[in-house]
Amino acid sequence: MELIPPSLGAHPSCGKARNTRAGVPRFTLSFALLAAAIALPQQGLAQKVRITNLSDVNFGLISNLQADARRSQNICLFSNSSGGRYSITATGSGPASSFALNDGSHSLPYEVEWSDQSGQTSGSSLASSVTATGHVSGASQQSCNSGPATSASLIVVLRASSLTQAREGNYSGSLTLLVAAE
Amino acid sequence: MNKGFRIAAVASLLASMAVAEPALASTQGSFGSTSTGSVTINASVPGRVRISGLSDVTFSNVDPSAPASNAQNVCVWSNTSTRGYTITATGSGSANAFTLSSGALPAVPYTVEWAPSSGQTSGSSLTAGSVLSGQTSSATNSDCSAGPSASASLVVSMSSSTLQGMTAGVTYNGTLTLVVAPE
Repeated sequence: MELIPPSLGAHPSCGKARNTRAGVPRFTLSFALLAAAIALPQQGLAQKVRITNLSDVNFGLISNLQADARRSQNICLFSNSSGGRYSITATGSGPASSFALNDGSHSLPYEVEWSDQSGQTSGSSLASSVTATGHVSGASQQSCNSGPATSASLIVVLRASSLTQAREGNYSGSLTLLVAAE
Repeated sequence: MNKGFRIAAVASLLASMAVAEPALASTQGSFGSTSTGSVTINASVPGRVRISGLSDVTFSNVDPSAPASNAQNVCVWSNTSTRGYTITATGSGSANAFTLSSGALPAVPYTVEWAPSSGQTSGSSLTAGSVLSGQTSSATNSDCSAGPSASASLVVSMSSSTLQGMTAGVTYNGTLTLVVAPE
């Protein structure tokens, strides 16, 4: 890359050129190297993502087993890829990474939904261990310290159809979210 | 003589458990080619029961020379670890007595039996207002729409002597209420 501002370049009408090497002005060469130093790292910038602001999901004592129980939270999801694109893969702690809670003896299945926008109480369903592609983040900083404070919604749902069949007990489990830049 | 009464059922919705303290274990992702975070999910399901599949009992044109009895299959579901429940029956008579009435005519008694399995024509005698504990349900679905279609038997009977004391051609009515609770 070489940038030669017209006012600094050698001109035939100026007679003897000063501060030159092989006819190229020294100032022009330094400017070119500086520009290259700035430009080259941008060409090789790695695609990176980050998921933060996750909170545990506590349904507490579910008094009404005949209605769906739903909890949503706002997440910071940042991706520096073009358009902020990313994929997400969710896995549960149930058998074969299924979305299921356990009380030590019995299982309670749940569902996971995801939205590319914060403040949502529903979203697209995620299947365990299946990568969902085509998501886009609106976050402008990796931990959402500036710009949007959150950029996605995580929704966990306990269906009435499962709750009405569940045994009495205290259930728990973990949900792991893996994001990757696209 | 017609003697009919309705059965009302109430499934008590009692929470019989404490809520566990949720574990705080969420993890945040780091900045990289991939990023992984996790959350812990906690939920407590209280003890619940349900009674359904009840039908009204009608004794119509019964022969007073012999006892009359009506048995029906009922669905009782419990989600406790043992699928246990208690049952309490109350009548619409004086002091919740199991009696039928017809205006100013003297009230007539009936008896109630309960069996924790379907298809039975006799069971444990229920006393009005008294809790019968130690019952276990085989139901796997809250309304028996899947699994066993019924899980208990309700038997209502009237003795021959009672029938003989009733006025012919008169309808006697009453209500029997059944309350089940998790155990």
